[in-house]
Amino acid sequence: MKALSVQHVSHAFGDHRVLHDVNLDVAAGQVVALVGPSGCGKSTLLRAILGTHPPNQGTILADGQPVRGPTRNVGIVYQHYSLYDFLTAQKNVAFGPMLDETSILYRTFCLLKWRAKRRRHLEEAVCLLEKVGLGEAIDQYPSQMSGGMRQRVAIAQALIMKPKVLLLDEPFGALDEATREELQRMLLDLYQENVQAKREGRQPPHTIVLVTHELNEAIYVADRVIGLSQFHSGGEQGATIVYDKAAPVFDTSQPKDLAALVQQREELRRIVFDPDRLQDRDEYVTFWKDEAGKMSEEGNHQ
Amino acid sequence: MIRQPIKKRTAILLGVASICLLVMVYGWLSWRQHRANPKDTTIPNLSQFVEGWKRITTTDAAGDVWILEDAAATYGRLALGLLTGVGLAVLFGMAMGCFAKAEAFCLPPLGFLAKIPPTAMLAVYFVMVGTEMKMYVAMIALGIFPTLAQAIYQAARNDVSDHALYKAYTLGASHLEVICCVVFRQILPRILESVRLQIGPAMVFLIAAEWAVADVGFGYRLRIQSRLLNMNVVYSYLIILGTTGLLMDWLLSFTRRKLCPWFGE
Ligand SMILES: Nc1ncnc2c1ncn2[C@@H]1O[C@H](COP(=O)(O)OP(=O)(O)OP(=O)(O)O)[C@@H](O)[C@H]1O
Ligand SMILES: [Mg+2]
Repeated sequence: MKALSVQHVSHAFGDHRVLHDVNLDVAAGQVVALVGPSGCGKSTLLRAILGTHPPNQGTILADGQPVRGPTRNVGIVYQHYSLYDFLTAQKNVAFGPMLDETSILYRTFCLLKWRAKRRRHLEEAVCLLEKVGLGEAIDQYPSQMSGGMRQRVAIAQALIMKPKVLLLDEPFGALDEATREELQRMLLDLYQENVQAKREGRQPPHTIVLVTHELNEAIYVADRVIGLSQFHSGGEQGATIVYDKAAPVFDTSQPKDLAALVQQREELRRIVFDPDRLQDRDEYVTFWKDEAGKMSEEGNHQ
Repeated sequence: MIRQPIKKRTAILLGVASICLLVMVYGWLSWRQHRANPKDTTIPNLSQFVEGWKRITTTDAAGDVWILEDAAATYGRLALGLLTGVGLAVLFGMAMGCFAKAEAFCLPPLGFLAKIPPTAMLAVYFVMVGTEMKMYVAMIALGIFPTLAQAIYQAARNDVSDHALYKAYTLGASHLEVICCVVFRQILPRILESVRLQIGPAMVFLIAAEWAVADVGFGYRLRIQSRLLNMNVVYSYLIILGTTGLLMDWLLSFTRRKLCPWFGE
């Protein structure tokens, strides 16, 4: 099942063409990193997927349904402004289930049922906060938390909804190096849950699209790296996907193997970020071809 | 050095000292005045104040206790006026902050109305709704409405980021929930703060209206008693007005701290 399908999406702001014929399929359970030169349209693409700013052309399907606006199927974590100031960490996380499962009328008139539900939401929120490593900070307000803590809560807040696709737009962009690495390891742990689920024949729980400007982060955290760039033959039309390959998968229990990153990083620099090298746009878009054998195998397996 | 912090005890002592100074200066002025003219009532002394208090708090010839009937009238009008004004302002401010059409429709007249001094509108209310309760309510409510609605609109517009709204939709919120559970919750402390700042003006409009047309209430009593130069009554009323003003101020700050502990000071 495709969790996300972007079909022939093009977008321009007036005369400024940003996206040109972007095509992208993401299967459930994939962790995709999206990289590209600054201003190439990564956030524009993410906003289109989220549904807040529809593209000029093309369609986007989330879980098979056309995206017509922001819904609970697609989750988002922004770089800034990620939490509600007026709620504690726990209540921020429990906010989603509350809005999703109940209405204002229900909360006003079915008080007893609502109270029972609320208790369950709050417990669930604590579980998720523990999962992102914030078990003790549940009663703090966002203004009392550090940037790293806030992003953890924001990720828990999105995860509790179990979205079909979770979008992260440079979620760690404003954090220091050490915090950043901790949060990268947290994402890898989520990936391990996917692996575990696949092994047990379950639907993998997390499908993630991560925008980042850190190539190491992209290769380290994701199992698939996508390069969006205007540097290709026909680039005056706008940016499109010029790179799509599998990335090595790391394990948090092992020390970070930097050597494995280097080769792919250099390749990305050449293909995606080098304005002087204009290759055919499909030359390095080989993910599904590389994976074809593996995928059909999995298809049989299910 | 400027902004050098001082001890809490010093701060309290200084505060008490300033009030003592105020009382002493008044006492001296009153003493000087009474030495020149023992019958003077413009700067009443302590015994005159006691006499004034008695007059305020005991039944008069008509069987009314001034302070009770005035307070009931004035604060009843104030409460109803404030409630109406705040209700209207929240409704319009939120609508304008959330919907571009409401914004485009309401902003021009609101900007214009905000510039007319409400006390000048007294003439209009007087003709349109008479001198009953309705007039005072209209005076206060419409007096504070434009400013308050604009403040709430600004807060709803600027204090809630687009991202916070988009995020709410991804959490499964309906439009109404986004308005009530995100926008309103976020700007609630600003609303309470704006209301607090509007109590002063509301009081000004009310006293002015009572001064002009009422037959009961603080404004009316102040007008009559100042004509008779019964300053012991006038000053007592002013002290009551000041004290209740402070109390309401504190009550709203307290409510804000209780309802929105995340907002800080
Ligand atoms: N609302 C807008 N109006 C006009 N132009 C815009 C608007 N938003 C983005 N752009 C332009 O579209 C291009 C892509 O912007 P976008 O924010 O998607 O880039 P990005 O890849 O996310 O960049 P960064 O890495 O800096 O976040 C930029 O050149 C930007 O100037
Ligand atoms: Mg961006």
